[in-house]
Amino acid sequence: MNYETSILAVSIFAAFVLGVLGLSVWLGSRPQSAGGYFVAHGQVGWFVNGVAFAGDYLSAASFLGICGMIAFFGYDGFLYSIGYLAGWIVALFVIAEPVKRLGKYTLADALNSKFNSRGLKLVAAISTLVISLFYLVPQMVGAGALVKPLLGLPHWAGVVMVGGAVTGIVATAGMVSTTWVQFIKGTMLVVFCALLMFLILERGFSLPNTPIGQDEVQSYRKDASGVIVNGSPLSAENQLDTKLRAAHGVGFGSIAQLPDGVRATGPLGPIAFIETFSKSTVTTWKKGTDAAGATTFTPVERKGADLLLPGSSPTFKGVRDDRIASKLDFLSLMLALFLGTASLPHILIRYYTVKDAAAARKSTVVGIGVIGVFYIITLYLGLGAMTSGALDPTDSNMSAPLLARTFGNTLFAVISAVAFTTVLGTVSGLIMAGAGAVAHDLLCDVFKMELSDREQVRAGKLVAVALGLIAIVFGVLFEKMNVTFLVGWAFNVAASANLPALVMLLFWKRTTKQGIIAAMSIGLVGSLAWILVSADTLEKIYGFSAADAASRALVPFSQPAIVTVPLGFLTLIVVSIFTSTGITKPQTSPGIA
Amino acid sequence: MSGRSESVSTAGRRGADWLGPLLFTVYCTSYAAFVAVAAFATFAGGVPVGGLASEAVAGVPWGIVAGFGLIIGAFVLAVLYATLARTPQDGAQK
Repeated sequence: MNYETSILAVSIFAAFVLGVLGLSVWLGSRPQSAGGYFVAHGQVGWFVNGVAFAGDYLSAASFLGICGMIAFFGYDGFLYSIGYLAGWIVALFVIAEPVKRLGKYTLADALNSKFNSRGLKLVAAISTLVISLFYLVPQMVGAGALVKPLLGLPHWAGVVMVGGAVTGIVATAGMVSTTWVQFIKGTMLVVFCALLMFLILERGFSLPNTPIGQDEVQSYRKDASGVIVNGSPLSAENQLDTKLRAAHGVGFGSIAQLPDGVRATGPLGPIAFIETFSKSTVTTWKKGTDAAGATTFTPVERKGADLLLPGSSPTFKGVRDDRIASKLDFLSLMLALFLGTASLPHILIRYYTVKDAAAARKSTVVGIGVIGVFYIITLYLGLGAMTSGALDPTDSNMSAPLLARTFGNTLFAVISAVAFTTVLGTVSGLIMAGAGAVAHDLLCDVFKMELSDREQVRAGKLVAVALGLIAIVFGVLFEKMNVTFLVGWAFNVAASANLPALVMLLFWKRTTKQGIIAAMSIGLVGSLAWILVSADTLEKIYGFSAADAASRALVPFSQPAIVTVPLGFLTLIVVSIFTSTGITKPQTSPGIA
Repeated sequence: MSGRSESVSTAGRRGADWLGPLLFTVYCTSYAAFVAVAAFATFAGGVPVGGLASEAVAGVPWGIVAGFGLIIGAFVLAVLYATLARTPQDGAQK
């Protein structure tokens, strides 16, 4: 794909990003106590906190990943939107107010509020760190994907830029600054995506200049002499979509046939847009490999109505399969999305940045409103990208920015800058959660180090730098993964490790500290182990072929939540029963005696 | 005066105590039904047979109607909860 840089685009991008950074650092530049550094003194207003919730939550997975998945596979990306939003219902009705009442700085504070156990703090801190790292990886991958087309820089450069900027934010100003980054980013994301949706509806759908033939396979391969695209060396004049554009006036992703035989629809309303798409035929591109080992992209015409059904992507293909293991994989991911949101450490700590339970509740409602609007918009962005003629078939994460480029370089730069600040906002929140877990939970409470307020803040900043470096390394290693797919794993681990402990602590009086420690340990280790030996990991991380991965996998499906969440609840109940004081008095119970 | 305020506050709190689980159950059931229909009632042998593949509503496929319904429904329930679960303390804390 042709990723030429434009001085205008780079200037707008730089102004946007530096403006957001400068504003947030200025707003958060007051001297910091530990309470100020980790939870912004608990004095953030509920509305600002609600929008910051959206800024924290709407990560690279939501913007780049979901748009990319819808652009490549249709409805399957929207399933993530539905699941991510539904998770906020658990947060609002089950978790928000009690967690606010129980905690101070971190998830471990809430879980340990009744027990004062070092063991529990240790497990909760480890859980926070692992989940935060899992969630950090896709954000960094998203950052790398962004700078490639905009600045002409390699993937690793984007990862380093985000890592450096975020570490700077967190290490200088803490949660106050992070809150403002997230507030500004949340607002900009929704406003500019709404603008993009408006432009998509105004443009409507149109056909390519000439129909794309089923035999027009595009290919590329890398050899010792460099990258060969469609039989000739890669150059500015010979990109993967060059032949297509010359022949048909569009690149990858276009409408093949519109209803009623028209060539262009003109402007459409939101309902008419979906209806027209549903009745159209779309040219999608199937990835494969030819006899010479080149990667090929073959045009496949698909009915719009079929693309608005689940099961087109590798992640959700089990829906169309009659095997029970495939169904369970789908159910498990949808369960993880539903239960994972309320278990994410960087979301939970935002309940401590407001002053009371009522503010926690109100800010969650604001968050649901902003996030809901955004997820409805993502459907239009994804379908707009799918038919924009501007997709990069090698990188689904670039679909939304490339869609923006079809409306001009200025919008491309603005959307890319918004996406970049999206990554900044989420990564800031994740690093804050990790810094709090290490500095507050591990150093002070587990290792009993006597740290003054100032020393806690300093320790938090050092941890932030370390986490930033680790995230940079992972972001480079996982370059080719779809960011939404990676985030799905983080949700599985979060739901398995944290949710049983949180729910039972709040609603079952016989819960013991041993029960919580056991449930969190089993949930964390169990879900991680399941993921590491699953077919998806064998294929996408270890590089096995799909058939080899399926035969070597040690678990019947790849998403663990449907097994590991109930396992966490069961572990907590059994261990709590055996360790609660009411039961450990066998002498008084004739049945046990 | 203070005692009356406390009892009103307690009543409001009790309202929140049953309202939250009720609304959670309503949403949870809707989400579970959606997921179950997608998994078990939409395809048979890889071919669309019903469920989310049923005839569209006013030209909009069922999957989109259900998805928008779950997203908008979450916000409606959240606003309902925030309105009905308010206690006098909430006002004082503004």
